Formats: sequence, structure tokens, C-alpha cells
Amino acid sequence: MTDSQKPWLHGRKPGDRRVRVGRPHTPYFRYSGPGTLVAREAASAPRTASGRMVERVRHVLFGRRLSIHEEGNERLSKKKALAIFSSDPISSSAYATEEILRVLVLAGAAVLLVSLPIAIAVAVLLTVVSLSYRQIVRAYPSGGGDYAVARRNLPRMASLIVAAALLLDYVMTVAVSTASASEQVISAVPGLADFQVGIAVVAIVLITLGNMRGLSESGNIFAVPTYLFVGSALVMIAIGLFRIVINGESAPPPSPLPGAPAVPEMLGVLLLIRAFASGSVALTGIEAVANGVPAFKPPEPRNAATTLAAVAVILAVLFVGITFVAYSFGIVPIDDPIRRTVISQVAAVIYGDGSIGFYLFQTFTALILFLAANTSYNAFPRLAAILARDGYMPRQFSFRGDRLAFSSGIVVLSIVALVLLIAFGGDTHALIPLYSVGVFVAFTVGQSGMIFHWLREKPQGWRQGLAINLLGCTMTGVVAVVVLVAKAPTSLLVAIVIPVLVAVMLFIHRQYDASAAHLAVRPDAVIPPPRRDERVIVPIPGINRAVVQAVNVGRSIAPDVRAVLISDEPEKAAAIREQWERQIPDVPLVIVESPFRALVGPLLAYLQVLDETWPGGTDYPITFVVIPEYVARNWWERILYNQSANRLRRALIGRPHTVVVNVPYRREAEEPNESEPPPS
Amino acid sequence: MAEQKQRVPFRKAVLGLNGGPTDELVVHLGCQLAKVGNAELVAVHVIEVNWRHELSEELTAENETASALLDMAEGIAEQYKVKLSGDLIQAREVAAALVDEAIEVGADTIIVGLPYRQRFGGDFAIGDAVPYVFQNAPCQVIVVREPVASSTERQPDTSELALAAAGRR
Repeated sequence: MTDSQKPWLHGRKPGDRRVRVGRPHTPYFRYSGPGTLVAREAASAPRTASGRMVERVRHVLFGRRLSIHEEGNERLSKKKALAIFSSDPISSSAYATEEILRVLVLAGAAVLLVSLPIAIAVAVLLTVVSLSYRQIVRAYPSGGGDYAVARRNLPRMASLIVAAALLLDYVMTVAVSTASASEQVISAVPGLADFQVGIAVVAIVLITLGNMRGLSESGNIFAVPTYLFVGSALVMIAIGLFRIVINGESAPPPSPLPGAPAVPEMLGVLLLIRAFASGSVALTGIEAVANGVPAFKPPEPRNAATTLAAVAVILAVLFVGITFVAYSFGIVPIDDPIRRTVISQVAAVIYGDGSIGFYLFQTFTALILFLAANTSYNAFPRLAAILARDGYMPRQFSFRGDRLAFSSGIVVLSIVALVLLIAFGGDTHALIPLYSVGVFVAFTVGQSGMIFHWLREKPQGWRQGLAINLLGCTMTGVVAVVVLVAKAPTSLLVAIVIPVLVAVMLFIHRQYDASAAHLAVRPDAVIPPPRRDERVIVPIPGINRAVVQAVNVGRSIAPDVRAVLISDEPEKAAAIREQWERQIPDVPLVIVESPFRALVGPLLAYLQVLDETWPGGTDYPITFVVIPEYVARNWWERILYNQSANRLRRALIGRPHTVVVNVPYRREAEEPNESEPPPS
Repeated sequence: MAEQKQRVPFRKAVLGLNGGPTDELVVHLGCQLAKVGNAELVAVHVIEVNWRHELSEELTAENETASALLDMAEGIAEQYKVKLSGDLIQAREVAAALVDEAIEVGADTIIVGLPYRQRFGGDFAIGDAVPYVFQNAPCQVIVVREPVASSTERQPDTSELALAAAGRR
């Protein structure tokens, strides 16, 4: 509304007049200050019918678009944090015992006794690693875990190795946890055995959709299944201990052992090492607390360190307890006729096979495993976003979707986890060698970063911290090598994947660095006005309103405007020239006859000739190629129109000293008389 | 039920915003009272146009500042989940326009802010706008005076701005 159109409103007294000022921005923007607008949701709303339809589908699938101001900043109490951060490490107690037994079973029943000392050895390793991570929690309260430690204290290559190992770790957490959860379901309901992979795939798809909707690590979602699993597992162990110690109950392992070779292997050091390497999978996920320190209530480092200690104690008790009960009742993994996990057999012995207690425990186990998979959906996209911001991954990974989730990271994580799951037939035991190596590589590099931290910073009590991290680094480094060797050849795949990932990240970084250096403007530079000449070329098919509009736009850019008609029909071209000179006399028309009927080639050649005829000693002019374009109103119109314009645009993009300008002509935008050339 | 209706502070209130230190207080108070009776709020900012300009002249810089003010009010109302619309007015007299606008939108309350300021010599200065609203508004008027503490923390130029925006330019 112009000034003269503003309605005057009269007040109660004759002189009291006022004018209501329109605020057309209000549906789309909000002013946060003079010259600064904040877009509202309506500004991002689609404006076409097809766009609105897609938006509705997205709304149903993923929910409404969230503003960054709606991001939850929930600070976690120790109880909630324990539930959130422990689901990943504690869930590994559901399959760690089984991994030890699957190795020992090869050496015969007598050797199963060794499972308990091995479990205790793993628990000792767990203690050292958790003590080491408590140092990280205190030293790096801003979170970030091993990657943050490595980035601050170690060369770039080391931090990228940690990043690659962690990314792999998160993918494997999804694949292993869902595979194991699926196995728990089948152990409880053997009739579903044919759908083992299918159950895991459906679980990943559902978790992906949930996270695309912005399912956060809400304490309540995690607390119930985690505490139910921990509670029921502790009760199971307590009942088992009572029956073993007080009642003196026990059972020998079945003979012959299922899955054991006809001639048992010798109990050698290698077998023990392999069993230890397999059992060390119990440590996976223990680093989760160190990654999320800022989420704790203040004092963050202290609360995080306490929570980490609690997680480690619970995990150690569950792991050693389940291993002891399993050994005492002669439980070994069963694959034939149907697969029954060790933990499900322990539950069957303690709660009674087919009892409500058994089914409830299996349900809790499956739930905590699914939740463990979900933790990776927070960690992987965040790490990928950090790497993207550091320039080591494509920038798309740092963009947040409509629901504030890092959508690209979520999708990539799901796809890779699904591929692995299907490739390994949903077999937890087959996937685990890939899992452990990456985790221990990350542990080792993170601990070594802490060693450099202590030596450089030397805060109070640094010698104690250094000793703990030195021990942790040594032990996890040895275990990483042991797992790599003992779990070969599958584990060697990780030794290939991590360097490849690092190489890809370095390549991406180099590309971004090169383009940034190329685009950089010196901070002290004052940009002068353009000194180069400009000229405009308007490729035309004839005379129509779109062409007239493009010519007028060209005239507003530079005085040197010429139209170019590429034609393979000389008679028609002559007719167009006659009409052109009559209707648009002040713009010269160049006709390029093209007997070979090409369009793009002759135009490019003509531009080349123009450049070559430019007088030497001065810079080439900037050539604006103004392309008239008819705006299609429907999807099918896009097929019918602008094909030549699209070809021209593709050919011209990247040409030096050339700017391509599209001038869209909308059918309803122009009145008939506007197509008339301006009066001379 | 009838008793409960009587307790509702208002059905529709005009919040007079002057770009001064009391604006946030006015909006918060308005929202808190509106929430009680599910009432409607109209935030009004009047740009005083002096006689050198046409009343309907486009005052771009003032408009942006005023829009930011009204948008701030809308943002606060959204937090309270209270319905608030913004009205930007150009007039010769701030207080008259505010009263006229309240009458036109059918408001039963006007809430205005009063910065705490003193004349030279130490007397409390109430300005012209608030007394005019008191005298001429047909509805109830609520005045939110700025706390003395925050007025002493204010920079002198801010105080001057508020003074000017309150109708003494």
C-alpha cells in the first residue's frame, strides 16, 4: 500500500488522526532488531501444490518442523544419566559371556571352567579402562570423548584414526545390538527363527524413523527398560548364586558339547587369548559417559565420573555373575536345532523355561539391546557433524533437518548398519570381531592423548593421572592387537576400513582447504568497484515475450547487448531479422547459420571468437549470457519447454569470464502490451 | 461460575509499548493477566510523527525498530501461549492514538508503562502520556512503573529515549 493509500483513522477529537502502518513481514519474519529478520515457519512452507503434498507426507512420517529454540536442554541427574549412558555398555553383558564360551567350547567341557577367570580378567580390564575414562571426564568436561582428547593432544592423523574407529564402533553397535536383540527374541519365541534378520532390519528402520523425528535421549524412555534389565538380571544372578552356593545345585555341561569339534583343540595360550579377546567385547560402550559430560547436572565432571564408576560396577557384576551362573549350570551356546543364547538359557534355568519371569527377562534384554542401538543414533550423527564442521566430512553431515536431527548422519548410519547386518546374516558372533577392534583402537589413542595431556599441562596430581592412563593405554593397546590377531581374518577388515576412512577424510579436507584458499578474501583488502567491461549476449529462438523480457534485462546490465540467433533455416532467420530490426531496432541481431544443426557448439564458438577479437592489453570483458526461459506451470510442461535453455546453461557454467543469467517468463506475470518493444 | 467470571482481569487489553525499559514488564504482566481469563492482547506502538512530515509518510527506520518491539511482544506472548496481535500506528499524539485505538479494538483495559525518572531538582516526572490516558480512557487503566533500581542502572541516553518515546518529543 502506498502512502497515499493508507487510510486515516479518526479519533474522538477532531485533530486526533492516526494511520495504521502495515506489517507485511509478520506472517513470514520477525524483527529481532533493525535490519535483522528471523524467519518464521511459514517462510519455509512450500508454495506449490506438489511441495505441500510432500510436506504433508513428511509431517506424517517425521512430525512438524522444529525451531532451533525448541531444542531441549535437559540436564541429566545421575540416575537418568546412568540409564541413558549405561544401556550401551550394560547391554553388552547380554552377549559377552556367550562370546567367551563360543571359543572355549572348542576345547571341550573341562575347559569351560576357565570362563570365570577370563571374565574376571575382562572385569579387571574394565576397571582400568573406566578409571582411565574418569580422567578424561575430569580433564575434558566439555565432552567429545576420545576424539576431543586426540584432537587436542595428538597429531591430526591420530585424531582421524580415533574418529574413524568411533564411527565404525557406532555402526557396529547398531548392527550387533539389533542382531543380538533379535537373537533374544528368537530364543524366547523359537517360531520366529526364520525372521531373525527381518526383526533386526525392522528394528533399525523403526529406530531410524524415531530418530528422524528427533527422538532424543529422553531419560524416561531409557530409564524404564535399563533399570528393569539391570534389576531382573541382578535378581537372576542372586537366585543363581543362592542355588549354587546354598543349595549346592549345579549341572555338568552337555556331552558332547554342541558345536564342539570331534577332537577338542588343546587348551593353549592362543585359545585363552582368543577367549579373552572375545570377552573383551563387554567393554564396548563404556566410553559413552565421556562423550556426554555436558549433559550432566553441575558439577558435571564429578557427576559424570560417579556415573561412570556406577556403570562399570554394574557391568562387571552382571558380566562376571552371568558367566559364573552359566558355567555352574553347564550352559553353552546352542545353535541347533534353533539358536538359544547363553543369557536366555541362564534365564530359563533360573526363572523357569517358558515362565512369565523368563519371557519378561527376555523382553527386557531385547529392549535394552534396542536402546543400545539407539545410543549410536545420537553419537554417530554428532561426531559426523563435528567432523563435517572440521572439514573432514561432507558439509551435509552438519546440517540439521526439520526435527533438529542430523538427518544425513542418521541415514548413513542406518544404511551401513543394515548392509552389515544383512551381509553377516544377523549373526552377532560373526559381527563381533569387527566391533572390538575399532573400540580398542579408539580406547588406546584416547588414552595416549591423555598421556600427552598430563605431560603438557602437569596439573595437581598429574603423576597419578598419568600412571592410570599409561596403564590403560598399554592394556587397551595390547588388547587391540590381541583382538586384531585372534579374530583374524574378519578383524583384519577393520585394519583396512579405518585407513580407508582416514584417507577419505583427508581427501575431503584437502578439497575443502583448496576451495577455501581459492575463495578467501584478504581481511585487509578493500574491494574496488568493477573495472572490467561488460557485454550481454542474448541467445534467441525468435521474437516472443520471453525474449523481449530477456533483452530488457540485458539492457539493464550493460549497454553492449546483442542477440544471437543460431539457425539452420536461412529463410526463417532472414524473416526474423526483418522483424527484429523493425521491432527492437537498437539491439543488434547476429545470425549464426548452423548447417550441422547444432545449437550449443556454434554459440560457444561465437563467444570464443568474441573473446579473441577483444583488443589486447585489457582484461577480457565479463560476458553475461542472458537466457530467456519459459516457466513451466506443471510438471509435464517442464518436459515440453526449456530443453535448449537447459543445454545452454549446462554448457556455459564454468566458462571463464562468463555469467549465465536465467530470465524466467511467467505466463501470468506479463500483460499483453508489455511485450511491445519500448518506444525509440 | 459467576464468581469466577468476575475475577477475570479483562477480556481484551491494549498494551501500550513505547520502546522504553517498561515494555517487557508491560508485556509480561499483560500475558500473566490474560492467561487467567484466556483474554486477548493487542500490543500497540505509536510512532509520533512531527509536523514536518506527512502523517502517512513512510518512516522506514522507525518502522523497523517498532516492528522489532511488537515482534518481541509477540515472542513473549507465544511463550505464555497467549493470543497477541501487534498494531503499529503513526500519529501526532501518542496518548490520544493509544486511547482511540483501545476504543476501536474494543479493549476493556489499557496497560501502559511508566519509566521512573526525575525532573531537574528531584521531583518525580510522570510525563504527559499517562495522565492523558488516565483522563480520557473509557476503560480501566493499569500503569506499570519501572522499579527504581533498574532506572538507576539505566544509561542516561536510554532514559532520554524512553522519555521521548513516552510522548515528550
